[in-house]
Amino acid sequence: MGAGKSQFTEDELQDYQDLTYFTKKEVLYAHQKFKALAPEKVGHNRNAKLPMSKVLQYPELRVNPFGDRICKVFSSSQDGDCTFEDFLDMMSVFSDAAPKAVKAEHAFRIFDFDGDDMLGIGDLRQVVDRLTAPQRLNETDMQQLLQYLLDEADLDDDGALSFAEFEHIIEKSSDFSKTFRIRL
Amino acid sequence: MSGGEKKKRSGGRGQGWEEAGAEFYQESYPAAIEADLQQALQRDPAHIATLLPSKKSRVATTKRVRNEPRTTLRRRTSTRSRGASTARRMSMNVHDAAVSMLPDLSENLSNEERTWEEIMQIKAMPVCMAQKMQLKNQLQSATKLRLQGFDQLKWQRRKAWQEFSSRIKETYSKIELWNHSLKKIGGNFGTGIVAYFLFIKWLMFLNITVFAVIFFFIVLPVIVLEPPESESCGTSDNYSIACCSEAYLNSTNVSNSVIELVQGGGLLEYTLLFYGVYTSQIYGLIGENVYYNLPLAYICVVTAVFLMSLIAIVRAAAKGFKERVVEGEGQFYQYCNIIFGGWDYCIQNEKSANIKHKALYNEIKAFLEAEKMEEERQNRTREEKIKLFLIRLFINLLVISILGCAGIFLFYVIEFSFGQVNLQTITRSQDLSYISLNNIIQMVYEFLPYICIVGLNMVLPFIFYYLVALENYSPLFVVRVTLIRTVFLRLASLAVLLTSFYTIVTVKVEEDECTSSSGRRPMCWETFVGQQFFKLYLTDFFIQFFVTFFINFPRSLLAHHTEHKILRFVGEQEFNLPKHVLDVVYSQTICWLGLFFTPLLPLMAIIGTFLMFYIKKFACLVNCTPASQVYRASRSNSLFMFILLLSYVLAIIPVSYIIAELQPSKSCGPFRGYDTVWSLMIETFMQFPNWLQSTLFFLGTAGFGIPAFVVLSLLLYYYYAVTVANKHMVTVLKNQLILEGHDKQFLLNRLSAFIKQQQDQAKYRQDQANELATFT
Repeated sequence: MGAGKSQFTEDELQDYQDLTYFTKKEVLYAHQKFKALAPEKVGHNRNAKLPMSKVLQYPELRVNPFGDRICKVFSSSQDGDCTFEDFLDMMSVFSDAAPKAVKAEHAFRIFDFDGDDMLGIGDLRQVVDRLTAPQRLNETDMQQLLQYLLDEADLDDDGALSFAEFEHIIEKSSDFSKTFRIRL
Repeated sequence: MSGGEKKKRSGGRGQGWEEAGAEFYQESYPAAIEADLQQALQRDPAHIATLLPSKKSRVATTKRVRNEPRTTLRRRTSTRSRGASTARRMSMNVHDAAVSMLPDLSENLSNEERTWEEIMQIKAMPVCMAQKMQLKNQLQSATKLRLQGFDQLKWQRRKAWQEFSSRIKETYSKIELWNHSLKKIGGNFGTGIVAYFLFIKWLMFLNITVFAVIFFFIVLPVIVLEPPESESCGTSDNYSIACCSEAYLNSTNVSNSVIELVQGGGLLEYTLLFYGVYTSQIYGLIGENVYYNLPLAYICVVTAVFLMSLIAIVRAAAKGFKERVVEGEGQFYQYCNIIFGGWDYCIQNEKSANIKHKALYNEIKAFLEAEKMEEERQNRTREEKIKLFLIRLFINLLVISILGCAGIFLFYVIEFSFGQVNLQTITRSQDLSYISLNNIIQMVYEFLPYICIVGLNMVLPFIFYYLVALENYSPLFVVRVTLIRTVFLRLASLAVLLTSFYTIVTVKVEEDECTSSSGRRPMCWETFVGQQFFKLYLTDFFIQFFVTFFINFPRSLLAHHTEHKILRFVGEQEFNLPKHVLDVVYSQTICWLGLFFTPLLPLMAIIGTFLMFYIKKFACLVNCTPASQVYRASRSNSLFMFILLLSYVLAIIPVSYIIAELQPSKSCGPFRGYDTVWSLMIETFMQFPNWLQSTLFFLGTAGFGIPAFVVLSLLLYYYYAVTVANKHMVTVLKNQLILEGHDKQFLLNRLSAFIKQQQDQAKYRQDQANELATFT
């Protein structure tokens, strides 16, 4: 277990193992990755809070169009700054072991830009824009796309996707669980 | 969310709501939320919809929990089918450490096992770590019953088992082959390409299993067991089996040059690599009772290996198929799929992220385009239709004739090559001492057919690729059409090869001959055929190697280091997934075809797939740029399996024909002396005890067959009916869902209108009161 080097006690590791989809070793590995983001800071205080810009240095998040949203969703202070525990939560959700429902839950929050618990037209538009950036779909195409999207998923015709509807789609999309993951 | 559930829940009664008469909503919401509701209504009456329980993610509920300790997280039960008790227990306040448990729940004390189960489920909760820890501490410190006796044991065992399995998984992931490579490929090219590499890995494991079976049941006994004394060739009959065997062993002189080894001839011909050396004798172990019947083992193992491969493929394919059925229920959510599942979260470098953005943009565009095209297609004029039809017909004819020409060309090349080789063998026997020009020429002749096959396989797909562009198909269909044409090309070349073997091999061998003297049938044709497959596998592999490192690599260098437009065009390569899939499937097909004649071919296939992984990795990471087309992981995997299944079926046909129909050589192999390989099985069957024989015979008769057929058909029909009913049910439920949604919409509108009215009235009264006050 490398107890000499480890910044964690056995109990803490046990806690982390129980509360995430990781084993103890993976927790330590995740900590290494976290430390690599800001070695001096984390070296002092293993649970240091890193500002969002630092967390976004993580390779997968750096190029991810939703990187800042992911940070905000997982940040315990809700402003995008992450402690190690937040980071661990994030990686746990993105790991292979996490079930689809858990992933869907967080994906919903990531896509919900305005935080109103619905994926409205505005949210969807932003999602599409971020996906296709730097190009943008022209207005008619965008309208059309959103129309098709809502036709498929919006079962109660209220012009927005609720969590239940979102989960319903995710349940049927085999791509989602394959793509919504980050290998530690 | 059923209304019933909401009603069951006891919530605080709102104060100013009685007059609204919204009993239903009132009951389901505790007081604090109503404040929320009021607030929301102030902003926008339509906003009320977002407060419905069914509209919420669990996260939102949790957020709200922080304000209102008594709300429960009961939604959890609906989102996941976990134990109800667990869900209820989970519903305790997360935020406030002081509140330990909900009063009504603390009554039923849980036992250790349940607590442990609940702790295991905390990880699924969408809250931050600090809260999870609190929750865990609460659960641990809560009073609980100790399990007694057997239950305790059961729980301990469960706990230990989980510990153990997680440990195993961890170790496995550490030793898992190519984990790092896969991550890197995923980071650069996305999961669709990773699926391809996983497929290579899967094939390697398949080959390992196949090899293990063959090794333990065929090769190992030959090495370990003492060879039985073979009959010596008597003088009486010069063409008996024993004499022919001896003649075969003495026929070729063992020279040891490298060239011979590459050809699988020379020294290698008499090793365990090929069919020829396996004996037809039965190994005796101790006395007479314990023995090892190698010929029987040989045929059984080959059959078993083919069955194993089939089961493995079907299982892997079924997994993909199941997913597709779930997806395809009703309709496929293509837009949702691309918007919500489109981004690959494991992408980690700038360049591929840019490409991914572009690819997504293109695909979305293509979807919209396809939608438009569909419309256009419907109002296409008649002349255009006819023109397009003629073009397609012409191109299809062209493709077929190209395939035909390629086949005929190959056939003649093979004829020519075998003719030359025979000629060479005769001349060679005079000067075999030195490696001469002659030898090299001979090798060129021997490898000529294979070089032609591989060459055709490389050139023709390009032609197909350009031809299909003229046909004006939809993009998805283009991929399939090119793929199928290429598959046929590859398999057709194999078929030609097999046909030419067939012409050589099927010569009637008379009683008084070891092998037909008139034909070109070699002394041991199985070994001969085995050698050909051995050569084909090697050639294919080396050409892959050569093309990747000596042609495509310089091309990519050219593309990287030049600005010149034409040079760049020559150098740029996309990672064209279908082509690479075919490469792998093709060598696997050769492996299956050659398996019977070259029992150790799977060993070569293991090495081959292992190295192939690295070759393809190099091709992928260094030579190519990510394809502008999006390969979906789920789709591509079932595609791989489908092609593999196709080639498996095509490989098994000739092999089973050979086993069932052709006469094995007299002078070598485990089946010398039999009419066909299968006749050994029949002979063995005849030695079974009588009752077993008659049972098996009965299974073959109409008396059993017809009822069985009827029962199977009935079953099939039953399942078909169930499927149809389920499908119907899905549509019914979906419609109901939509109706429910409309109802809700309607009620909400009424409600918000009502509230607005109330508010207005209240305001009006207030104003009046004010006026009255000022008046008085």
